[in-house]
Amino acid sequence: MESDTRQIALGLRRGDVVVLEALVEQYQYRLVRYLIYLLGRRDWVDDMVQETWLRVLERGSSYDGHSRFEPWLFRVARNIAFDAIRKRRTLSLDSDDDDGRVRPSPASNEPSPYTLAARTEDAERLAHSLQTLEPVYREALVLRFQEDLSLQEISMVVGAPVSTVASRIYRGLATLRPQFEGEKA
Amino acid sequence: MNIDHHESFQHMIDESLAGAISAEREQSLREHLGTCAPCQEYLSASNKVIVGLGGFSFEVDPTHNARVLASLRRTAQRVQSAQPRRRRWALISVAAVVLTMGGSFVDLQFGRLIASVFDIQRMQVQQGLLAFWILPSLCVLLLFPLLPLLSKAGTHREERIV
Repeated sequence: MESDTRQIALGLRRGDVVVLEALVEQYQYRLVRYLIYLLGRRDWVDDMVQETWLRVLERGSSYDGHSRFEPWLFRVARNIAFDAIRKRRTLSLDSDDDDGRVRPSPASNEPSPYTLAARTEDAERLAHSLQTLEPVYREALVLRFQEDLSLQEISMVVGAPVSTVASRIYRGLATLRPQFEGEKA
Repeated sequence: MNIDHHESFQHMIDESLAGAISAEREQSLREHLGTCAPCQEYLSASNKVIVGLGGFSFEVDPTHNARVLASLRRTAQRVQSAQPRRRRWALISVAAVVLTMGGSFVDLQFGRLIASVFDIQRMQVQQGLLAFWILPSLCVLLLFPLLPLLSKAGTHREERIV
């Protein structure tokens, strides 16, 4: 693993396009999924994914290769997403929200990205609750249970203490669990 | 068994799923789960949430992937083509520093000798060195660092694809 991350770090430092292309192929879907969980909408994601890879190219030398690549990549994507949200908030203060907060969920008449992406019965049951769940809880859940990151790695991605990350996971699970309570195992 | 007791074990289940439990507490949880139906149900519901989260498949437009790759290649090309230019600016700046210092050194060390060889006044030697050596190299030294800064604005950022 260490040698893989070193190779990635070396490639990014050189601005090696071949390394970048391999990373895009490997991580594109996971990046898309992470951003959908973070934003609760699909329509902003493609732009942000592209911004993320350009940022990886420009600032790749800041990845040292000592830790896994995924947390660093998600951290970059998160910064891009938050910058974009801030920018859109500035542009649409009067039209988007009365209180100046951007709600990163699609308009009410659009189907949620989770409803569209649900492929199993369990996922269909979760889709609505996921849409109404606070983004930070969704983010913690996807990073822990889909990306299999440790609490320390998630803490690095979100810039919050490990204890905060843990309680976000507990609360996220607590919100979604009632969908399956009272069923036989 | 009271409710608080279950809550404590259910919190341990959350900790275990989050990867935040010690081996000792994990062992105690396992033992409890062997005999407690409500906590088993709690674990089962939690596991179904986790399995459910894996049941989403988001569509990724393959043409978008191609556009991202094309955009990366263009940006990388620009970054790479800007590198030799930067190296050239650096070399020219170093040469200008050397020339400026060299001119001053020649003036100080050999000014009198040159004046006597060509039978002219020392002041004339100084003026000649200043006009044809020191000042031009000083100009190069001062102006060249500004040129890459001016050209950087045009090459730095890749345009966004629609």
